Amino acid sequence: MGPGLLAYTIRRVLWAIPVLFAISIIVFWVLRLAPGDPVDSLMGTRYNDETAAAVRKKYGYDEPVYIQYVKYMQNLSHGDLGVSTRHQGFTVSEVIWPKIKVSSQLGAMALVITFALGIPIGVYAALARGTFLDPLTISFWLALDAVPAFVVIPIAQYYLAVKMGWVGLGWEGVWSPNAILPVVIMSLPGVAGVARFMRASVISVMAEDYVRTARAKGLRERTIVITHITRNALLPMITVIGLSLPGITAGALFTEQYFGIPGIARESLAAVTAPDFDVVLALVLFGSTLFVIANIVIDVSYAIIDPRVRVGTRRG
Amino acid sequence: MSNRTLTLMMGFVAVLILAVGVVFVVVLASSGGDDSSGATDDKPTPTRKTAGGICGGNVLIIPGDEPNTVLDPIQVGDVSTAEYVAEIFGGLVTLDLQLNVKPDIAEKWDISPDGKTYTFHLRQDVVFHNGRRVTADDFKYSLERAADPANASLQVLPYLGGIVGVKERFANKATEVKGVRVIDEKTLQIELEEPEDFFLAELTYPVAYVVDKEQIKTSPRNWTQKPNGTGPFRVAEFKAAERIRLVRNDRYHLGVAKVDEVIFELGGGSVSTRFENDEIHVAGVPLLQLDAVKAGNSPLSQFYKPQPEMSLSYIAFNVKQAPFDDPKVRQAFAMAVDYKNINENLFFNALRVADGVLPPEMPGYKESIAGYKYDPVKAKQLIAESKYAGKMPAITLKYSGAAGGGGDLLEALQADWQDVLGVTVDLQGIDPSAYLRERKKKTFQVLADGWIADYPDPENFIGKLFSGSSDLNVLNYANPDVDRLLDQARSERDRTKRLAMYNDAEQKILDDAVVIPQFWGVAHYLVKDCVKNWPSAPIPIPKYRYVEIDTTKK
Amino acid sequence: MAQEAALEADAAAVMRPSQSLTRRVMRQVVRKKLAMLAVAYLVVFYTAGIFAPLVAPHDPNQQDRAIEARLQGPSADHWFGTDRLGRDLLSRVIYAARTTILFTVAVSITGGLFLGLGLGLLAGYRGGWIDTLIMRVGEVLSGLPTLFIMLALTAAFRTRIDSLSQDLRDTWLGDDAKTLLQFTIIVGASVPFAWIGSSRVVRSQALYLREADFVVAAELMGASTWRVITRHILPGVMPLFIVGLTAGMAGIAGAEVALSFLGLGISPPTASFGTLIGDGAGVRTFQASPHLLLAASVPVILFFFAWNLLGDALVDILDPRMTPR
Repeated sequence: MGPGLLAYTIRRVLWAIPVLFAISIIVFWVLRLAPGDPVDSLMGTRYNDETAAAVRKKYGYDEPVYIQYVKYMQNLSHGDLGVSTRHQGFTVSEVIWPKIKVSSQLGAMALVITFALGIPIGVYAALARGTFLDPLTISFWLALDAVPAFVVIPIAQYYLAVKMGWVGLGWEGVWSPNAILPVVIMSLPGVAGVARFMRASVISVMAEDYVRTARAKGLRERTIVITHITRNALLPMITVIGLSLPGITAGALFTEQYFGIPGIARESLAAVTAPDFDVVLALVLFGSTLFVIANIVIDVSYAIIDPRVRVGTRRG
Repeated sequence: MSNRTLTLMMGFVAVLILAVGVVFVVVLASSGGDDSSGATDDKPTPTRKTAGGICGGNVLIIPGDEPNTVLDPIQVGDVSTAEYVAEIFGGLVTLDLQLNVKPDIAEKWDISPDGKTYTFHLRQDVVFHNGRRVTADDFKYSLERAADPANASLQVLPYLGGIVGVKERFANKATEVKGVRVIDEKTLQIELEEPEDFFLAELTYPVAYVVDKEQIKTSPRNWTQKPNGTGPFRVAEFKAAERIRLVRNDRYHLGVAKVDEVIFELGGGSVSTRFENDEIHVAGVPLLQLDAVKAGNSPLSQFYKPQPEMSLSYIAFNVKQAPFDDPKVRQAFAMAVDYKNINENLFFNALRVADGVLPPEMPGYKESIAGYKYDPVKAKQLIAESKYAGKMPAITLKYSGAAGGGGDLLEALQADWQDVLGVTVDLQGIDPSAYLRERKKKTFQVLADGWIADYPDPENFIGKLFSGSSDLNVLNYANPDVDRLLDQARSERDRTKRLAMYNDAEQKILDDAVVIPQFWGVAHYLVKDCVKNWPSAPIPIPKYRYVEIDTTKK
Repeated sequence: MAQEAALEADAAAVMRPSQSLTRRVMRQVVRKKLAMLAVAYLVVFYTAGIFAPLVAPHDPNQQDRAIEARLQGPSADHWFGTDRLGRDLLSRVIYAARTTILFTVAVSITGGLFLGLGLGLLAGYRGGWIDTLIMRVGEVLSGLPTLFIMLALTAAFRTRIDSLSQDLRDTWLGDDAKTLLQFTIIVGASVPFAWIGSSRVVRSQALYLREADFVVAAELMGASTWRVITRHILPGVMPLFIVGLTAGMAGIAGAEVALSFLGLGISPPTASFGTLIGDGAGVRTFQASPHLLLAASVPVILFFFAWNLLGDALVDILDPRMTPR
């Protein structure tokens, strides 16, 4: 890592910290200041003041918001994410880690499928450039991208599970046949994006000198496509991983809901509506930090493998 | 660029793409680790693909809700978690399938002539799952633990607040609960502040169950993963959001369960589909899907079994807010809607139209009690006679939740009130916590509300919801006649007389039209033919020990 | 960079003899045809939505609870069938289109036009620390799990609007006050994430134009900053800005549909594609009355698709250098 790159990395990290802090403050305040706190939800219709006071005290909700925030941040610095109110008696870590594990495994599989489909399609579209097959291919996947997960899932479930009886809808863990359908559904919307990027990348590589040289040398077209074009065009694809993450998490929300997957997206929706303060905060902060780090890692590693890229100007 | 360098770079890229995935999965996810995700038994989970399908084994597989609390009896507040806790733990008394109070760990009990002191004689042969015998000390510990303010149990005051000393302990003004006394190893005495006929019914609720103090002392954080209770089943596996597996307690003192295991599947998609695919034995059907399931041509219709619930949905008026401070307006609202017609047209006759407050399953239910009948002409006339005739203020009906099936019924009411009375009612769905706050602050005009019985006693319905002094009366309603009846009933020891008092009170409440009863609850189930004795219990009670699986059927 | 190279590749492609002219034309035609179809659909969609009260064949809230009137399949009287309360689905879809149109316009103006264009121009023309601040904050924001944060914000704010909407009901807003507030909330939650893409495009173009001869000349002649920006920079930036907005339109509309589907957006009985789809989504519901889901989802899917196609085509035609989204 050269000095320029190091400085670049440090700058990215330094910029991320205040933004993450701002997000934590905003989300914390917005949650606490809304009428109706978790204690109301917990006690339901059987509200009584003495019990409510005891519960508020137990969770520290009886203190001013800024003190709660300071205490929360203190605990956070020790790795203590707080306690869940929606799952009484559980800590936030106990609630979220097993679910994050499930979701990230499914998400990683979906990501792999997205790229496994998107890359060849992009190469194909680029090679078919100039024929009607190019826009047709891309349009087909764009159409899939336009179908929201919450429309595609009931239809798929009806035809594949009820009518054909091919898939079960019970949840038997990540490594079971029943997980295939949700993973495929999560992966399809992203294919168009990957394919378009790959197409652009291949087209740019096709114009490079060494490809023309290879052609001039009379190499077989297949060899040219595989060894020269595709290989080089793959390099920039690494940045697309970061761009695909938000789409996959959004898709996971509906997929987990419909398939009853014990994942973090389903939990987050329930936590937001409950409301479960500490779980929501932990998820927003964790998710944001994770995404920011992932993007920095991807950009920096891209700069390392492709020294032609000038850091900091990629998106400009 | 040479070919070698290219290959090298390609490999690097591939590794990086993989690495990002792996980092995502491994480093960030497993650092929290498996340790919290569950305790597992060494016995492997039976699969539903074994010979004979799910009806081939002696394991009941049903969908379950994710517990909202740890499996600690004093924390349980919701019905779905109470289902699990009721199977794992036990208390002094329990309920049978007909909801009669029956002995559990207490063999028999004496009640003092003034009705304030209960002396329980414990059975000698009751043991925790680990084999230790249950003594009166365990009960004292469990009840005091429930009252400990540090545990902040939500249920202790509503259910056990009548025991002498519980309120003081909960307010941290005492270090023990005076009213619970250990006479000897097998005798426990509980003293009440005033006589309560329904006290035994309250004791069947989880907050009064016995827990193992030794287990809690040795692992105060993790004991709920595999709680040591006295119930007909013990926890073999508890995997959050995935599965709860209960195995039979072979030493259960009230009759050992007939199935080996009950597996609650907490995840998974559409239950009716999984039922059709032979993945589960029983499936609950949401109201909105009933037409698809009940239709004659549906293969599922033969499995349909409705199951009455001890609950009521109703429209609640705030009697201190205009225009509902005028009884005539309330009566008119009640008479303007034809619930029979709604039930037929919108709900395929699957609900039970309620003409009174108490559900038919409740002791003390009397058929002759009825509220106002559908009468659009009279309704219109009442509005004209009311003091708001011609100057009706804006009305907002609030309900919990923003979207979903509840909307159909309310939108139908809205249309009827508009058509029959000419009154515009705005519907406002608000989020559950805000809704609860609204109830508590009594700032609403009219609510779509409901109540589920906690224990089978009319006190739980009529006393809790309508007494002028009850915390749970959100209607601002105080009728001196009703209050007098309810006060008398609270301390009346003759059951027949007591129930008659509740009947009188119920009729007066209906005459005042402070609520419009809509429907008594019905749960809609699909049950496989091989499941015998599927218990139809309207509230959470220990029930799976009665179930048998007939392996000769499919 | 890949995209500049793509331009060169285009030039190279023209000269390549293997590429027959007819094929190139065919490609253009297919492209244009699809784009034209997209435009045609969008025109229909917007006309129907804007003139909803005139176009809708029935009152979208008129119920008919007789059994035979409920859940009807498509017929001559009800082209899209009826819902559970016997309301005409076509009319509800048309009113839902109106909700979508209002939302996208509101977000495009606030997030896209004011924030995106404004901040982009500021960053590009002024440069320096302002540029750094805007671009870095945007960089971090764009990398966040947007939907989660939007969920948290909308859920928290929704509970607070009730008393406010009561007060506003007495003003000229009347019964629309609550819908308007819910609307404001989801717009407010979307805007912080809606400006980033377009401001980037605007900035880089402004950066480039700032050095152009005619801009430098205008500055030397003493033109005010305002004049330079509006007269010289803005016209050069606008085409790109529009392309960026077009490409992002489906995403903006999708956010409202998703939030309403989850019950965190617009509440019924106000029609929104999210709640309409929610009514029909579910395996058994789809089995019994597939028209509920199809009638609600197909129009909005075509809407997303049309914007995506249009964006794709515009990117290609106006500026092949732009990164495909």
